[in-house]
Amino acid sequence: MKRQRTLPQIGGAEPPSVLLSSGDISNASIPPFALIPMLQHAGMPARCLVRPGDKVQEGMLIGKADGARSANVHSSVPGTVVSVSETKGADGVACQAALIEFGGEFGRTGKPISTSDWQALPRAELLGRISACGVVGLGGGLLPTHIKLARERGRAVSLLIANGMESEPSLHADFCLMREKSREIAVGMRICQRILDAARVVLAISELSEEGLAPFFRRAFAETGGGFEIMALPGRYPQGHEDLVRGSVVARTASSNGNPPCVESVDCVVLNVATLFAVYEAVVLQRPLIERLVTVSGSAVRRPGVLKVRVGTRVGDLFEECGGLVDPPGKVVLGGPMRGVCVSSLDYPVTKGVAGVMAFTRAEARGGSQLPCIRCGACIEACAWGLVPTRLNKLIEQGSTAAAFAEGLSSCTECGCCAFACPSRIPLVDGLRKGKKLGAIDTNG
Amino acid sequence: MLVVSPAPHVGGLSSTRRLNWSVACCLLPAAAWGVFLFGVPALSVLGVALGASLAAELLAALAWRRVTLADGSAAVTGLLVGMLMPPGVPLYVPAVASAFAIIIVKQSFGGLGRNWMNPALGGVVFALFSWANAMNSWLPARGVAAGTGVLPPLNALRAALTGAKSAHRGALAVLGASSYPWSAADGRVVAWINTHILSLAGWSLPGGVFDMLVGNIPGRIGDVSVPLLFLGAAYLLGRRVIRWQVPVTYLVTFCVAAQIFGGLPMGCGWGTGGALFQLFSGSLVLGAFFMATDPVTSPLTGTGKLLYGMCLGVLSFFLRYFGSGGDGVPLAIVLGNCVVPVIDRFAQPRVGSPGKAAAG
Repeated sequence: MKRQRTLPQIGGAEPPSVLLSSGDISNASIPPFALIPMLQHAGMPARCLVRPGDKVQEGMLIGKADGARSANVHSSVPGTVVSVSETKGADGVACQAALIEFGGEFGRTGKPISTSDWQALPRAELLGRISACGVVGLGGGLLPTHIKLARERGRAVSLLIANGMESEPSLHADFCLMREKSREIAVGMRICQRILDAARVVLAISELSEEGLAPFFRRAFAETGGGFEIMALPGRYPQGHEDLVRGSVVARTASSNGNPPCVESVDCVVLNVATLFAVYEAVVLQRPLIERLVTVSGSAVRRPGVLKVRVGTRVGDLFEECGGLVDPPGKVVLGGPMRGVCVSSLDYPVTKGVAGVMAFTRAEARGGSQLPCIRCGACIEACAWGLVPTRLNKLIEQGSTAAAFAEGLSSCTECGCCAFACPSRIPLVDGLRKGKKLGAIDTNG
Repeated sequence: MLVVSPAPHVGGLSSTRRLNWSVACCLLPAAAWGVFLFGVPALSVLGVALGASLAAELLAALAWRRVTLADGSAAVTGLLVGMLMPPGVPLYVPAVASAFAIIIVKQSFGGLGRNWMNPALGGVVFALFSWANAMNSWLPARGVAAGTGVLPPLNALRAALTGAKSAHRGALAVLGASSYPWSAADGRVVAWINTHILSLAGWSLPGGVFDMLVGNIPGRIGDVSVPLLFLGAAYLLGRRVIRWQVPVTYLVTFCVAAQIFGGLPMGCGWGTGGALFQLFSGSLVLGAFFMATDPVTSPLTGTGKLLYGMCLGVLSFFLRYFGSGGDGVPLAIVLGNCVVPVIDRFAQPRVGSPGKAAAG
């Protein structure tokens, strides 16, 4: 476990990526009804503050963070609360959700923007604004950002990395955001640098998008004070994973003796660019996190694209915005092709963590039939964490979960590369996930 | 109704079916060469081996209630059994070998992916031990008069060297001295090269070089044409159907061992083994690229594959030079299959180190 994570060309997968014809962002329509779950983050669900019949404003606090890793939830539209009821998220976890019927006036949208001079604010106030606005890690972790930033209180963080690597193939929202909002992201980086007292700040971007993005950021960094670095990393999935980004950036840092320092010895915080943009909006505009960029793609979508979507918008409506679906879809996925979660209907809402929605045709949804493992080793070559997925899967099937953990099961990040590479179409990730769940039950009781 | 399934929602292009059928297709040129060389007998041996293999798979499918013909593994097994047969073998031998391969070696252990021994080699080794004489029914190459003591060069070399403890200048020279019959085409080509090119430098090639290189020699149906085997292997390597580790370490280990120690049993001193002659005779190339690479019966990891290849090289060397006869490759790979679990146990990647990159 102490070995260094230099990465890159090894392991991983190259699924076909649908490149969007333009990097333009279009605004999705305001949803007539917004379904806003109280659980859109890592910890406990937020405590719902509204009741049916209540009038709410755009950006009004409707869920109060409840517990250490919880985050605030805000209304994404002005209107009236129709109902507050128990609903199940795409991951199967139930929580309260407020259904809000759109009506009345926008409090912020279309109004002149008041900016505040954040540089004069104390550190606690900066953290307070981030926390109040319900900012969470938008790269997929969904850990409330103020926790990530406050974690190192009292101790200087040597390295802050802005992660501009797309978290999954076929997702382009981060790329679009970085092209449109380089200055805002740069300010977000400044704010976090100030909070963490970070000595060094690096923006990690994919080699594939370096040419398109680096000029914007060089200018943005210069305008906001300079001193930030841009580092292009290989664009191969799962390079965008936080651990791998950190490992690669540290490995490319020559220290005084010429060798890169050990990853574990570097105090490092990695924040996704969308999160940094949300930090900027929270601190400078005091705008809560109520909308995000969503990539709409998949074989059944007529015009794939990137949409700016309000939290609570029905997933089905996003497909309508993108020209509708070619056929009745066979499978609808929240997230990307490698780690996304299937949903059973088009009525699920977009939440803070949904970076993409995908619809697959029926033919594609069926997938190939499973054959026995032929021990080809493709899953081993694909695993960036040096695991032997096929062996772990067999151990778990045999009930030897403890042996699987001894061989590194806990290092698995469920990136999906092993199952992607498997010629026999064995659902390895599913097997390993089940093993981890069994292990968690074993250790808890 | 929407499908709900675990991630990932996309799959790679490679599939087990496609892998098996690519191997089968890449064997075809070499098999076709065997048919060209030995004619109808070779074709019927291949046909019987393939047919018996598919029939056995179908029988097993009925017994186990799962039809697995489409995965292509039975076709590869049948083709390989046929290619490892001498062309003059009585037809019941390939039939029984194929059936043994499919039913005993593969299906009785649970079918594709669960057999610990390469099915085709299991069947062939079974035939080698059961019908030793029938497995020596060779046919002459093209352009050679029939009846002039038909033996593959390797066997002929062995016979010529028995008892002879004198220094020799290479395998082909020994064969030449024992008046081994090469084809008329070989005589013409070698003479032309010797007079027009090599004479300028004062060198000359022994007879048989051309026959050996193109595979116009008596031998097993599928192993005579080394160039066509290399061609098929190159495609498989390029498409990453097979990995380089096993064949490269196998062939290199064998050739180095053969070159250094190969002369000793014949009393010819170090470094006179004639590795090139060994490479082009017997089933070495067929075995290294098409049987040692069988994923089911070879180690999982890259390191394991390197170790396995070396193991096979050493085993093949000993079996070929010190064994009781034959070229040693089928038996070497079958023995190699036995040590795969041990190799797998010791050649596991280090957790937390992303592949080979950690070393650099």
